Amino acid sequence: MATFSEHLRSRSDAELVALLERRPDLASPAPSTLMSLAARATSRFSLERALAGVDASVLQVLEAVVALHEVRPAVTPDDVASAVGAPVPDAVAHAETFALLWTDAGALHPSPGLGELLGPYPAGLGPALGAGRPAPPDPATLLADAPPGAREILDALTWGPPVGRLPALTSTGPRAAVDWLVARGLLVPTDAATVILPREIALALRGGRTHREPAVAEPRPTGSTHPPALVEAESARAAQEIVRLVAALVREWELAPAPVLRSGGLGVRELRRLGTRLEVDDAGAALVVELAGAAGLIIDDGAERPSFAPTLEVDDWLDAELPDRWATLATAWLTTTRAPWLVGSRDDRGELRAALDPELVRPWAPRLRRAVLEVLAGQQPGTALDADAVTAVLRWRTPRSVPPPAAVAATLREAGALGLLGAGALAEPGRAVLAAIADDSATTGSPTHRSPADALVATLPAPVDEMLVQGDLTGIVPGRPTRQLAELIERTARVESRGAAVTVRFTAESVRGALDAGHTADDLLAALAAHARGPLPQPLEYLVRDAARRHGRLRVGGALGYVRSEDPALLAGLLEDPALAHLGLTRLAPTVLAAQGTPTALLSALRDRGLAPASETPEGHVVHAGPTVRRVRASTRRRRAAGGVVIPPHAAPSGTRAGTAAETTADRLAALVPAMRRAEETAQAERATRARELAAEPPPSGHARRRPGAPGGDLGTADPVTALATLREAADAGREVWLEIVGPQGTPQGRRVRPVRVDAGRVRAIDTARDAELTVAVHRIARVTPIDPAPAQPAGTRSDAPEADAQNREGTP
Amino acid sequence: MTDGPLIVQSDKTLLLEVDHDRADACRREIAPFAELERAPEHVHTYRLTPLGLWNARAAGHDAEQVVDVLLEYSRYPVPHALLVDVAETMSRYGRLQLVSHPVHGLVLHALDRAVLEEVLRSKRTAGLVGQRLDGTDVVVHPSERGHLKQVLLKLGWPAEDLAGYVDGEAHAIDLDTTDWHLRPYQEHAVESFFHGGSGVVVLPCGAGKTLVGAGAMARAQTTTLILVTNTVSARQWRDELVRRTSLTEEEIGEYSGARKEIRPVTIATYQVLTTRRKGVYTHLELLDARDWGLIVYDEVHLLPAPIFRMTADMQARRRLGLTATLVREDGREDEVFSLIGPKRFDAPWKDIEAQGYIAPADCVEVRLTLPDRERMLYATAEPEDKYRLAASASGKNRIVEQLVAKHDGEPTLVIGQYLDQLEELGEHLDAPVLTGSTSVPERQRLYDAFRNGEITKLVVSKVANFSIDLPEASVAIQVSGSFGSRQEEAQRLGRLLRPKGDGRTAHFYTVVARDTVDQEFAAHRQRFLAEQGYAYTIVDAEDLVPDTTD
Repeated sequence: MATFSEHLRSRSDAELVALLERRPDLASPAPSTLMSLAARATSRFSLERALAGVDASVLQVLEAVVALHEVRPAVTPDDVASAVGAPVPDAVAHAETFALLWTDAGALHPSPGLGELLGPYPAGLGPALGAGRPAPPDPATLLADAPPGAREILDALTWGPPVGRLPALTSTGPRAAVDWLVARGLLVPTDAATVILPREIALALRGGRTHREPAVAEPRPTGSTHPPALVEAESARAAQEIVRLVAALVREWELAPAPVLRSGGLGVRELRRLGTRLEVDDAGAALVVELAGAAGLIIDDGAERPSFAPTLEVDDWLDAELPDRWATLATAWLTTTRAPWLVGSRDDRGELRAALDPELVRPWAPRLRRAVLEVLAGQQPGTALDADAVTAVLRWRTPRSVPPPAAVAATLREAGALGLLGAGALAEPGRAVLAAIADDSATTGSPTHRSPADALVATLPAPVDEMLVQGDLTGIVPGRPTRQLAELIERTARVESRGAAVTVRFTAESVRGALDAGHTADDLLAALAAHARGPLPQPLEYLVRDAARRHGRLRVGGALGYVRSEDPALLAGLLEDPALAHLGLTRLAPTVLAAQGTPTALLSALRDRGLAPASETPEGHVVHAGPTVRRVRASTRRRRAAGGVVIPPHAAPSGTRAGTAAETTADRLAALVPAMRRAEETAQAERATRARELAAEPPPSGHARRRPGAPGGDLGTADPVTALATLREAADAGREVWLEIVGPQGTPQGRRVRPVRVDAGRVRAIDTARDAELTVAVHRIARVTPIDPAPAQPAGTRSDAPEADAQNREGTP
Repeated sequence: MTDGPLIVQSDKTLLLEVDHDRADACRREIAPFAELERAPEHVHTYRLTPLGLWNARAAGHDAEQVVDVLLEYSRYPVPHALLVDVAETMSRYGRLQLVSHPVHGLVLHALDRAVLEEVLRSKRTAGLVGQRLDGTDVVVHPSERGHLKQVLLKLGWPAEDLAGYVDGEAHAIDLDTTDWHLRPYQEHAVESFFHGGSGVVVLPCGAGKTLVGAGAMARAQTTTLILVTNTVSARQWRDELVRRTSLTEEEIGEYSGARKEIRPVTIATYQVLTTRRKGVYTHLELLDARDWGLIVYDEVHLLPAPIFRMTADMQARRRLGLTATLVREDGREDEVFSLIGPKRFDAPWKDIEAQGYIAPADCVEVRLTLPDRERMLYATAEPEDKYRLAASASGKNRIVEQLVAKHDGEPTLVIGQYLDQLEELGEHLDAPVLTGSTSVPERQRLYDAFRNGEITKLVVSKVANFSIDLPEASVAIQVSGSFGSRQEEAQRLGRLLRPKGDGRTAHFYTVVARDTVDQEFAAHRQRFLAEQGYAYTIVDAEDLVPDTTD
């Protein structure tokens, strides 16, 4: 009988590449030989990962094969089909590609270690009686004259869990029924209090099925359907809004960065203040902040008193067009491991989770987002699904890793806020971002879909370049304003309502903002008139002129010192004195000069000129401090993807490192397989040579102390992963191995054993020489050497060894 | 995307572009459920409120109609969340009903038991309801009908009031239409009111609200209690009713500080109703003196808080509220709606002006630059004195003189807040001054003289804010007011809006001291009228050259 590693060796290059593509963890770091590949593929971690990605139909097939392969000599695909209840060729093929199942002479085998992962009761079936037992009784015939209650007891256990608790001795009826069932071999007592339904009996009761219902097809959720125009409009509206909010956040923090909490996040009060400024609720503010962080637009500046401040990337982002800005945010959201929805909830210690808290990372978040959007992408266009419906589909797609419903709901909410969804359905821009991410992680380098930014451009309503300005000092842009108009509005008016249209109000303060920025009344009026339908109303014109009239009536300037005197003539003399020119004196009033020199410099300079100045207390000393715009260099390296999209380093999906353009994943994988094969051949040749040498030596005695490196040692493996794989394969095939164990004193000793089970950090094995059972902690195993071929042994003996018989619990704690 | 006139914003405002071909049709369709917020020249703003949507339900519209209207007229796709919200909000109305039970009297009946449980558990309904009859019914104390409705509204489960109205004591009232007729919008208002049972009619000053009241009385044919703001206005109501209806002087009683008559139609002042002696409202019995079938509240925006409470007890009687401006500076518009009834009729001022029923008006704000001495005084004044200082700036007298001279011969009102300022103006202009302390006969004499054209200039204090009837005033100049009161501004403009015999434009001037709180208050005061479509022109006092040709 072949082993799993032999099977892998027999796979074609293309099949191996397919495996490595689908289970990327196997290829990174690159395994040296096919043996180590097999070892890695059967490791618990890798299997767990592969299982997490299989859908319900594949999982059913796996459960069926694992359940059946202990009670049938060979499990064929037909057996699986009848056990599951429907033909499942695709699922079987899928499982084989993933090397979760492998075929040998038409029979399906679970990969070593798979059974342990699926738990003690695959598909709710109890342990098998074992091949050595007499043929199991046929429950149907026996039950014909069963005492009352027996049938019900079996019914309760048939579909699992197969373990039943014995009724109390006093309840005579049920107890008698259980005793009857035990006596007929339909139930097996496991200990004094429980019984278990053996697998063969359960299968017979189930009519040979392992599953009640075949989970062949994905559930078809029903959702509400919205017209595409509505979906696109809602999406575009949300997209514009989120970009506006992030920009507003940047504007807030570039002037006054927000302090970082000692624990690393943003304080609740700070978040709430921001929410008030942006006119969003706490959750909304948290999303905006997290999004800006994920997109690398803000960062902890790492100063002595740390605060969150905009990064250098911000300027590029602010300069970009709306669609590009949005694409950056959307991509960042889809790929970030941050979990914004947790902000405001409490952690295990009951502490409030803060926005931008470094702890707020969930590595599965990008996978979840992609999975959720892919569910929506699989629906008819315009279909909106709620969190329950999406979760139902995900439960089928990845039954081994069903996301928490709250996270699914939060993902839908956030996707809606970003405009990836519109009215709950996936919008075109959302589809484009999803496709871009898929392209990015796929093997092909060139994008096959239109860019997210282009998709958004297509959904945005045509911009409007006209404003209806009214006598009550309000203005309405009946649509999405052009960038130019939006900037004019931003400068001169206060926005009252946003949506399909923008309504604004002009006030003295709002106009003053524009005047501060250096515009004149005529500029503003001309700009407004250019956009207005009809003439500007008189009150608006008056307002602008009146604001301009009042603007600048107070003047502010900077000076480092001043000179004042009651004698204007004296001051006039100083102004003219070339020796004092370096002080930058200017006359503010006949009796006051402002200077660009410090008081100290002034004093000494004036004294040098033979004058007798006196210094004054600093009252009236004006220091002008202009706004300090902050920029901090982001400490992490960012990759700039096509279309100006900034992807943070943790953005690469599925845990792989994003490859450079030159070396795509596919190329790398294709090159890897022949290399492994070559290494494997070399290793095999060596092994064969060694085996010949070894054959000349007598088998070492069980108690003999062995030096490391003694014969047999070189041949085997000390690599723990490979060692475990070897043990697993041996257990599966019933072969023997040389086990080199480090004893409690640190002394190595060799045993010739037949492993029975590898699980939970222990190896259970039969010491064939002494016919005793042995349990060894994995960390004590120094080396495992397969002995090939195994001496013929009756298969029945392995489980015949009574538990109590000579237990040698070496090395177990 | 259709080319509709309406833009639906996600913050529940509706923007209606009035120049659009389908604007009128759209306005008619959305009026039942959306509140008109602003009606300036290009785009009218409506707002969807729960109250408005519930009123629409009460008037027999359902969510589907509302959604259809929005979808039909909207230029852009209507935000989905808004449609969901509309349907959700409207479905809350009428899950509870107030019904007349043959045995138990007034009963709160639930079509949805969970809702009844929810509201009964609320602390706010405690004491308003009595014995629980069964799973779906609970007795309501008849006197708490109004309170309960108000509370249910606040809890978000407005009750449908099916208990009906008492007919009241029948009394024949007919309109005497030999030489006049109700205008179409007045008839529409009367019908809307009567169909709805109770509610508020909003019409500009001068658009004939009294006649809407008379029309409602003729429709109800019942004894009527009319509540007005003061005695002068009580007399004007009486005169108007005598002239316009079949009622005679003997059938109309006045219940005021001076007289206490109770007749089939009784006109009472708010003041007398709210008079308290030793903490007791001494004239409350008036409300029960007769079996009134209709209660009319004039100038409902001024309704004092105690009357709210009294009104809460009178839910079984038909109630009609009349006002020009449902803006309450105390923000209690909602209470008016829930206690008197929803807005049954509303028309933008400019629309009625366009139909020629009120005079067009030209609003001008004149800005006066204070002399340096006064500016210094103002800059250093205590904050509480600032408005008074700015409002009674001496320079205003000169401007008022110029304006009066410009409109020489036209009936002109000069309106102000501060008595000394008014006295001074009276001397300057050589015009009589009418204030709160002027006796009623003297007031009547002055009004009559003004009406006859014997005098063309009158300086008045805030007594002129309410219900005085000055048919031919065509120029008003306000020099100071009650801070930023929007409704005062509207009332004052209302003095000018009665249609002039010769179709003249009325002129409304506000004289304001530049760069002071006076200017800020003026801006606030103008908001209501600006939103009604009145564009204020702002001129500098220096540019105000007397134009003798006008």
